[in-house]
Amino acid sequence: MLATRTEGGAITRYIIRRVLWGIALLFLVAAVTFVLFYVLPVANPAQLRAGRNPSPRIVADISRELGLDKPLYTQFYDYVKGVALHFNLGYSFYSNASVKSLIFERLPATISLAAGGVVIWLVSGISVGIISAVRRRTWLDRASMSTALVFISAPEYWLGLIALFLFASDIGKLRVFPGAGSYVGLSTDPGKWFTSLILPWLVLAATFAAIYARLLRSSLLDVLGQDYIRTARAKGLSERRVIMRHGVRAAITPIVTVLGLDLGTLLAGALLVEVVFDIPGVGRLNYDAITHSDFPIIQGTVLLAALFIVVANILVDISYAYLDPRVRFK
Amino acid sequence: MFNHHHRWRGAALSAAAVLIAGLLAAALGACGSSENTSSAAAGTSVPLKAGESPLGQQLAGKKRGGTLTVYDHGDFEHLDPGEAYFAEDYTVLSATQRPLYSYPPNSATKLEPDVAAGPPVISAGGTTVTVHIKPHIYFSPPVNREVNSGDIAYAIERGANPNVACPYFTPYFGDLVGAEKAAGGPISGIEMPDKYTIVFHLTKPTAALLSGALSLPLSAPVPPEFAKPLDAHHPTTYGSEYVVASGPYMLKSNSKGKFLGIGYQPGKSATLVRNPNWNPHTDFRPAYLDRIDINIGGEPTVIGQQVLKGEDVVQNDNPAQSIVKEAYEHFPQQITFTPGSGTYYASLNNAHGPFTNINLRKAVWAALNRGAIVKVRGGPLVAAPMTHFLYPSVAGYEEAGGPAGPKVDYNEHPEGDMAVAQKYMKLAGYPSGKYTGGKTLQVVGATGEPEEGAAQIVNQTLQNLGFKTHLSILDKSVMYGKYCGVPAQEIDVCPNVGWGRDFADPQTVLYAPFYGPAISPSGNANWSQVNNPQINAAMEKATLVVGEPARAQAWAKIDEELVHQAVVAPEVYASLANIEGRGVAGVDELWNDGNWDYDFTSLK
Amino acid sequence: MTTGAADILVRGPLQPEPARGGAGSGPVGPLDVDAGDIAARSPLQLFWRRFRSDRVAVVSLGFIALLVVVALAAPLIVQIAGVPGPNVQNPNATDAFGSPLGPSAAHPFGVDQLGRDVFARVLYGTRVSLEVGIIGTALATLIGAVFGLLSGFYGGWVDTLLSRATDVALCFPILLLGLGISAACQVRGCAAGAIQPGVSTIIAIIALFNWTYIARIVRGQVLSLREQEFVAAARSLGASNARIVFGEILPNLTAPLIVYASLLIPLNILLEAALSYLGVGVHAPTASWGQMLAQATPIFNTAWWYMTFPGIALLLTVLAFNLLGDGLQDALNPRTVPQPH
Repeated sequence: MLATRTEGGAITRYIIRRVLWGIALLFLVAAVTFVLFYVLPVANPAQLRAGRNPSPRIVADISRELGLDKPLYTQFYDYVKGVALHFNLGYSFYSNASVKSLIFERLPATISLAAGGVVIWLVSGISVGIISAVRRRTWLDRASMSTALVFISAPEYWLGLIALFLFASDIGKLRVFPGAGSYVGLSTDPGKWFTSLILPWLVLAATFAAIYARLLRSSLLDVLGQDYIRTARAKGLSERRVIMRHGVRAAITPIVTVLGLDLGTLLAGALLVEVVFDIPGVGRLNYDAITHSDFPIIQGTVLLAALFIVVANILVDISYAYLDPRVRFK
Repeated sequence: MFNHHHRWRGAALSAAAVLIAGLLAAALGACGSSENTSSAAAGTSVPLKAGESPLGQQLAGKKRGGTLTVYDHGDFEHLDPGEAYFAEDYTVLSATQRPLYSYPPNSATKLEPDVAAGPPVISAGGTTVTVHIKPHIYFSPPVNREVNSGDIAYAIERGANPNVACPYFTPYFGDLVGAEKAAGGPISGIEMPDKYTIVFHLTKPTAALLSGALSLPLSAPVPPEFAKPLDAHHPTTYGSEYVVASGPYMLKSNSKGKFLGIGYQPGKSATLVRNPNWNPHTDFRPAYLDRIDINIGGEPTVIGQQVLKGEDVVQNDNPAQSIVKEAYEHFPQQITFTPGSGTYYASLNNAHGPFTNINLRKAVWAALNRGAIVKVRGGPLVAAPMTHFLYPSVAGYEEAGGPAGPKVDYNEHPEGDMAVAQKYMKLAGYPSGKYTGGKTLQVVGATGEPEEGAAQIVNQTLQNLGFKTHLSILDKSVMYGKYCGVPAQEIDVCPNVGWGRDFADPQTVLYAPFYGPAISPSGNANWSQVNNPQINAAMEKATLVVGEPARAQAWAKIDEELVHQAVVAPEVYASLANIEGRGVAGVDELWNDGNWDYDFTSLK
Repeated sequence: MTTGAADILVRGPLQPEPARGGAGSGPVGPLDVDAGDIAARSPLQLFWRRFRSDRVAVVSLGFIALLVVVALAAPLIVQIAGVPGPNVQNPNATDAFGSPLGPSAAHPFGVDQLGRDVFARVLYGTRVSLEVGIIGTALATLIGAVFGLLSGFYGGWVDTLLSRATDVALCFPILLLGLGISAACQVRGCAAGAIQPGVSTIIAIIALFNWTYIARIVRGQVLSLREQEFVAAARSLGASNARIVFGEILPNLTAPLIVYASLLIPLNILLEAALSYLGVGVHAPTASWGQMLAQATPIFNTAWWYMTFPGIALLLTVLAFNLLGDGLQDALNPRTVPQPH
């Protein structure tokens, strides 16, 4: 759709409104997380860090050093200031490493996992969805939709274990792909990077591919029932052309939306796959931090995951605003 | 030292790095004295095969050079010689840092001068120790200069700096004159008459104990001009970002001595390369390998497979239970066992709650099936039922009763004896034989097998005796740091605690975990909160006893008294299993739990 | 956490909302009663009639009923099967190395590292899954329905406030936060003992964060319902707000609430399993499928049975709830399937 001048202005205002609200959301998420973990009985980091038989003076020194003796609102103010001004997410209670650098160090692994997973699930989900819709009510449709439901119902860590049990090159029955803990960075060795991620990609993609296949199938069936498809058919276009050019193009819109939102949640969603396949990503970082009560890392990763969700939501909303003018006047 | 043979629960916990200062250290020391060959597997259905015990291991290397790959599913805790207190950290430290004295790999009792030029000279009266140090020992780049007595003094003094907080400073260096007020600055009891001489003055005649403690990594030289500015940080960045080596190897570093992000990626990897300034003529270490690549993280069963089927690889930490079995059955030449690498037990809160009642403690001791815990730990090759506190290979073990332990009825049946347990329940005032007090016991265990299994066995035993329990399974760092090591939390039972010696002296096994005045509000290691005036007095007296046989006798008596007081519920004596690839001629450090010694290990 | 068959449920409400009071309310509209259907039947009856004709859904419902029976009668089944109880440890059921032994006559699903019977533990695991799935979902649905009703019916600042709260709750990665909360509440519980460790912590997390979808859907439905003629009619007859909500609007919400709740159940079951798998869920020795999978992980290449049976139990249970949810959804909103050409 071609936006007129005034519509462009309305869209800009809408985008600004969404972005501002997104920032407010992040602030609220940070505040809720902060209060939650302040109220909850997490470990006293000063005691944890002081080690064996420390004198109370050492514990007090560490408390002051970590700013734990200040009131909650001051701690929160300092934190928000650090994040807003320097994107400083604080320092690990244990290793003293900067949370920001820890996250950036882990991000490539998570992005590698997510990117490959997305490609696989889009390709397989969309093709299975189209085939199922075109061949609906055949055994092929039933088989693929039943398989999809099984994948949706199976926990991915269990699928991961089975994948390792069957296909891992070190412990599997058929030694095909590198197993858990084989991840290497893309820059270190692209070949190994690729092979080490094959199983994790497949496992991560399984659930999503199943969801997308179901979604595309139902959306395509809806579209194929529309009048303009009948018109296209009546015009004598080939069935293949009707489905691919007219049907799929229209049916894919909800997929795009869902993809945006899924990408937003993937940072946290990849956690279980990272855990099973021992991939040093952000999810694992969060998980390790939780087992150690390392609050700054928990806070940092939750905030980052929320950031992804908020950004994805804004992008989806904005794309909708372009597609459907009604939204802007909400 | 804290026992820390943990196996993480799968990949889920594999890289859950153990990061807390001084909390999670492992049993240092191991079996190995040739006069004491009590094997943990003796008299069981799984006999030991040749080549399994490292007691008679071949120390001559097969060849010089090459790169060894090491798998380690847990991370290092500290690589600072002043903070490290964990057997797996010691494997790196013994390759990179040289204390005044060191144990050769096949002995846990015989100290060799390392940086020191000869044995320590103890004055009459036992209040001063004089050590001469070797010339021509050099620090690694960027410091490059010769090591002198000031570097040893600074290394020990910084142990009292709160930014370093050496976990064993007070118990072993606390008797130095001026140590009480020390906070990182000079300690008046450490004197340096010249560049190659250092003299320690003590407030009590405890010179023998101090001499033993000079084998701990705290006595490895630290150059003050390099480390002082780093030690001003809180916590220090010496050993976490920058470090200087004195041993044959060094963590790969840049020109400023920074290794974080270069030779060590937390949770991922570490790299040891040759220290160009190492002087082999001053050292007994042959240092065959050129380079050691350590991979951190990974599912234990996977690591185990990779090692057993690989060439130039070893696993640094404990192999998983299923791997021990597989190695034993199919790769017997690639696995070794080191019996006597510490104890595991369930602490019972002696200060608060139902276990202030000695008869309830005895009932739990009697009822617990120690044989079942041996099994969840992987069977008799890696564990034996614990009957008292001085464990096999520690001086005093035989004196306190050997494998059977002190003769009391609740100690007689390691497979658990409900009849004896009932007797003590009745003595405790529960005529039905079941506990009927209302309190729900807080039981806090550690994640990962075999800890979780052991915790569940203890928990079930308590329930069989009528106790209501609430079992929580937490990461080991949180278990110690927040619950078991914090008396105010009033945890009743910690089923996954354990202890091993710091060096070859029975005091290092009994003092920290059972001496009453050592109880501290956090980071406490006296988990049972044993504070018995007679035992305290006996320990204070035994500290001053001189001569190995006399010390063994004195501490064995304390050991027996701890059994009579039933201060814990004992579980097992641990043995450490080590696995190596086909191409490795591995050497175990007997003094360090049986962990690999990278200074002696070579490739075939 | 797996997203589950509730794909539409989960994604739908996240999509931009239409103009307030405008037409359409997400991908699943209010119960449409097509003209061809018989008059004088309540929407609920109609809904049930359609559901009954869906064989897969009915079979799933039967399976779920069976699960409920298994959960309730677990002790009896264990007794009849002649296996030891779920917490009976037996060191003799493992080999000399402590490796658990596989399926046998005495232990049809084999044993775990402590020699406990896996069959009994799988049976008892049903209890935790259903408890979390049903109670957690009921609470989340209740909270969501109340928020959605208030929001949709009153509009104005109530709506603004509640919608914003929903936005915030939707931003939280529930698995990450759930991990943190469970870990923190593990030993002595939380909120001055109001939240006990274990199952009730998980239920609390679900209630705290999973009500949002329901709230959004209910709000959308109420927005359109309150513009309907029958509401206007009731209002003109002088009905009170309470009467309108409970007498007119709520009955129309029953069927959609059942559908969406049924789609939430498998998600919540999977969340419990995931938290237990990661070590912060139910407390040992309580049997939970997720926890069993976690314990099976270090020995999964030598004790296939320990990984297999709890996994299949979890898979079948979640699958049954997903199929049921599908069936209910179809009954609520039958898709106008185009005729094959």
